[in-house]
Amino acid sequence: MRDDELDKELQFHLDERIADLMGKGMTEDEARRRARLELGGVMQVKEAIRDHSLRWLIAELWQDGTYAMRTFWRQPGFALVSILTLTLGIGANTAIFSVVNAVVLRPLKTPNADTLVRFITTTGVSTSIAGAQSFDMWRQQSKVFENVSAHRLEYVNLTEGAEPEQVPVARVSAEFFRLFRASVLNGRTFDASEDRPGGPLVAVLSHALWARRFQSDPAVLGRRLSLGNVPYVIVGILDSGFDTEQFDAQPDVWVPFQLDLHRIDGGNLFTVTGRLTPGTTRAAANAQLAVAVAAARRDAPGRLSARTVWTVEPLRDAMIGSIRPSLNLLVVAVGLLLLIACANVSNLLLVRADVRAREIAIRAALGAARSRIFRQLLTESLILSLVGGALGLVTGTIGVRILLATYPGNNPFRLGDTTAAIPRIGANAAVGIDWRVFAFALAASVVTGVILGVLPALYASRVDLVGPMKRAGGSPGRRTKARAMLVVTEVALAVMLVVGAALLIRTSLALRAVDAGFDAHNVVTMRTSITATRFETRAGIAQLTRDAVNEIRAVPGVLSATATCCMPLETVWQLPFVVSGRPPETLTRAGNLAYTGFAGWTFVAPNYFEVLKIPIVRGRGITDSDTADGRSVVVINEEMARRFFPTSDPLNNQLIVGKGMRPEYDQEPPRQIVGIVGNIRDTGLTRPARPAMYVPVAQEPDGVTALNVRLLPIVWMARTATRPLAAAPSIEKALQRASGLPVTRIRSMEEIVAESTARSRFDMWLMSIFGGSALLLAAIGVYGLITYSVQQRTVEIGIRMALGASKNSVGMMVLRHGMTLAGLGIIIGIAAAFALARVLAGFLFGVAPRDPAVFVSVPAILAVVAFAAVWFPARRATRLDPIAALRQE
Amino acid sequence: MSRPSGKTDLLQGTLDLLILQVVSLGSLHGYAIAQRLNQISKEALEVNQGSLYPALYRLEKRGWLRSEWRIADSGRDAKFYSLTRAGSKRLEIERTEWSRISQAIALVLKTVS
Repeated sequence: MRDDELDKELQFHLDERIADLMGKGMTEDEARRRARLELGGVMQVKEAIRDHSLRWLIAELWQDGTYAMRTFWRQPGFALVSILTLTLGIGANTAIFSVVNAVVLRPLKTPNADTLVRFITTTGVSTSIAGAQSFDMWRQQSKVFENVSAHRLEYVNLTEGAEPEQVPVARVSAEFFRLFRASVLNGRTFDASEDRPGGPLVAVLSHALWARRFQSDPAVLGRRLSLGNVPYVIVGILDSGFDTEQFDAQPDVWVPFQLDLHRIDGGNLFTVTGRLTPGTTRAAANAQLAVAVAAARRDAPGRLSARTVWTVEPLRDAMIGSIRPSLNLLVVAVGLLLLIACANVSNLLLVRADVRAREIAIRAALGAARSRIFRQLLTESLILSLVGGALGLVTGTIGVRILLATYPGNNPFRLGDTTAAIPRIGANAAVGIDWRVFAFALAASVVTGVILGVLPALYASRVDLVGPMKRAGGSPGRRTKARAMLVVTEVALAVMLVVGAALLIRTSLALRAVDAGFDAHNVVTMRTSITATRFETRAGIAQLTRDAVNEIRAVPGVLSATATCCMPLETVWQLPFVVSGRPPETLTRAGNLAYTGFAGWTFVAPNYFEVLKIPIVRGRGITDSDTADGRSVVVINEEMARRFFPTSDPLNNQLIVGKGMRPEYDQEPPRQIVGIVGNIRDTGLTRPARPAMYVPVAQEPDGVTALNVRLLPIVWMARTATRPLAAAPSIEKALQRASGLPVTRIRSMEEIVAESTARSRFDMWLMSIFGGSALLLAAIGVYGLITYSVQQRTVEIGIRMALGASKNSVGMMVLRHGMTLAGLGIIIGIAAAFALARVLAGFLFGVAPRDPAVFVSVPAILAVVAFAAVWFPARRATRLDPIAALRQE
Repeated sequence: MSRPSGKTDLLQGTLDLLILQVVSLGSLHGYAIAQRLNQISKEALEVNQGSLYPALYRLEKRGWLRSEWRIADSGRDAKFYSLTRAGSKRLEIERTEWSRISQAIALVLKTVS
C-alpha cells in the first residue's frame, strides 16, 4: 500500500512540475524531461525511502531494546525474578523437548528409513517377537515387502587369543545388511546361500571389534574366529558408524541366522524387520498380512490362534512405542508449568504497568502513538522471555544430561522386547542440542513473551489523558480483576500438577513395598555365556554348575550359591504342560492344543530357593541328589498348585512338560512334583505371580540345552553375609577359575529389582520436580498479589484503622481476600484433576486414579502453602500505622 | 526520544527544520512544499527533490507530520501534510537550537575576521 501511495504522490509531483514548466513556455516533451531530471529518478526516491524505512524499523527496535534494558536496570529485582521464573518454565520445556527430539523426532540413522517396518504379532497382547513359521509366511509376501530379515542378539565368548571376552553377537538374515544399507569396509557380507541350516560358519566383524582386537589388521579376512569354541571364518569388516539402532548393545560380530524352519518351538524366536516395496502403503501391507494369516490358519489348523493378527508398524514407532506414554505425560506437565510461569510474570508486568502509569502518560502526551507504546512494552516482555529462554536452554540441557546419567542404563540381557532403558538414547548417550532443540527454545521464548506480554501491554498502553494526568493503563478495577484471575489460574494448574506428582509418588512407594516373593538383599549375580559344544548336553552343564557353585561357596562371606538360566524379573520362559493321568479334554482357556496349561519354566541348580529365600511351603526344593540318573522331578509354586490342583494333592501327581513343542521334548519323562514353593513376581513387580515350574539343571533335556545355550547365559547367584558387591571380585575369580569362562554383568539383586521399576521412578521424579516448581511459583504468585493489594489499599486500611477497626480484623480481611482467591483456584484445580485423573491410569500401580487420600491431602497442602504466602502480607497490614497510611494520599 | 544517527545528520536536520516551518503555516502537499521553500528563500534554496520525499516520510514516521489525501487545486488527489502537536513542539525546539548555533557561529566568525 505504501508503494502505491508513493507512486501516486510522486506522479502528482511530476505532473504539477510539468504543468508549471509548460506554463513557463516549455514544450511538453522538454518539460517532462526536465521534471524527471529534477525529481532524480523515481526508483532512487523509492530506494531512499525504503532504506529509511528499514533503517527506521531497526532503529526503533534498537531504541525499544535499550529503553527496556534501562528500565530493567532501574528495577533489577523485577527483571531478575521474571527472568528466573521464565528460565524455569522454558528450561523445563526445552529439557523435555530435547528428550522428545532424541527419541521421537530424530530420524533413524539408516538412510531411507521411512519404508522400514517391524512385524508385530498380536494375540491379545502385541509383541515384536516372532517364530520361524510366521517369518516364513511374511517372506512370501513379496508383493508388498521387498526385504524381510530376522535378527537377534546373543552373547558369546570369544575364546582365542589374549583374553577371552564376552561379546554381543548379532544373528541376522543375509538380507539384513542390504535392508539397513550397511557399507562394507573390506570383504563382503553373507550370501543367501550361506543363510541356511547347516550352512558355512562365516562371520562379519564390526569396525570397533576389528580395531580393538585385531589392531585394524587388513589381513584378518580369511582368518578364523572362535565363537564359543566354534571356529568361524571372517569374511568381511563393516564400516565404522554402521548403527541400525535395533540392538541394545552394538554387535561386535555378525553371523548368518541359518534359520531352521522346521523347528516349531519357543527356542527359535527373533525380531523381524522389513522394507515396503516402493509405492506400497502400510495399509496395503497390513491388508495383505490379514489375508496371509487367514491362509496360514487354514493350512495349519491349531497352530495359530483365531485371535492372532499380523501387522507392520513403522520401525521408529515400534522402537519408541514403550516410552511414548511417559513422554506425553511429561510434555503436558511441563506445558502447564510454563503456563504458570507465564501467569506469574504477566502479573508482575501488570503491577509494573501501574507503577509506570505516569511515565507512559507523558509519552502519550508527547505524541507517541498507542501502537508504538504497545510495541515497546511487548518488546520488554520479549526481551525478558528471550533472556529467560537462553538461560533455560543452557540449564535445561545440563539438567537433562544429569537426569539421564542417573537413569539406569541398558539391560542387554532382556529377552522380551521392552527394556528399562529409554529407547534410542541408551546407556551413555548424550542428548544433544541440535537445530530442532534450538529452534524450539527460540519459538517457546517468543510465544511465551507474546502470551505473557500481550495483556499487560494492552492495559498499559490504554492511556487516559482527559483526567488529571496521573492515570494510565485503563481502569484499575479491570487490571485488578485480571491479576486475580491469573493467580486463581496459577493455583488451579499447580493443584493439577501436584495431584499428578502425588499419584506417581504413591505408585513408586507401592512398588517399593511390593512383596516380590523373594529376598533381594545381599544377593549378588553374575553371568557367563555358555555357547560352547561342551555345554550342549546336560551333563556338561551339570558339571559346570556343580564345580562352579562349589568354588563360589568356598569364598569367604558367601552363605550359599546357586545358578539358573532365568533370573526373576529378567528372563521369563514358559512351556505347556499336561498333568499326567488327566484326560486331555480338561482344557483351560490357555491352550488350544491338548495341553492343560502354560506355566513358567526355569532351570535351577540346588539351593536356588535358599539363596533367594523363597519359602518352601510343602515337600522340598531342588537338591544335589536330583541328578540326571535320578528320578525326574519338578517343583511347582503355590499359584500353580492353586489353579491346577484345587482339590487334589500336587505331591501325588506328575507333569509332562513341553509335549508337542519340539521333538526334544517328546523324550521328556513324566516329572514327579516333589515340592511347592512360594509365589514370586518374576514377570514384573506390577504383575501378579503366574504358575511356575522349576526343574533341576542336571535334568534338562539335552536338545533343549543345546538350544538354550545360544540364548541364555547362566546366571550365578550368591547370598553374602554383608554387602553383596563387596564379595563380588572374589566370587568372580572363583567362577572364572571353575569355569574358564569370562564373567560379565556383575550386579546385586537389588539393582535388578530397582531397574525393573526404573521407568516408573523416572516419571515420578520428573513429575515431582514439576509439581514442586509449580507449587513454588503459585505460592510466589499469591504472595505477590496479596502484597501488592495491601500496598494499594494502604489508604483504605488506614481509614479503617482510624475508624476503630482492630489490627486483627484488618489482618483477617487480607487473609480472607487471599484465601478466597487461593481457595477458588484449589477448587477449580481439584475439579479438573478429578475429571482428568483417569488419563494417568496407565502409570499407576497400587493406587486408583481418584485416590481419596491424594485428593484430600493435595488441597490441604495447597491451602497450607497459600496460607503461608498470604500470612506475611497480612501481618504487614496489621502493622500499618494509620496516620502514615492516610498521609500517603 | 533520540533519533537514529546518520551521516547527513546536519543537512537532514536543516531540511527537517525548514519543512516543519513551511508546513506550520498551513497544510501543503509535497510539491507545494518544495515550491514554497523556493519562493520564500527568494530562489536561494532549491530542495533536491530526491531528498524531499524521504524527509517527509521520516518526519511523518517520527510523528511530527500528519498526512491526508485530499483534492488539490488542480482537481486531482494529493497527499497533504500538516504539523502535529508534537511537530510544533519540535519546531520550537529546533528553532531555538538553530538560533543558538547560528549565534555561536557568528561569534566565532566575528573574532576571526
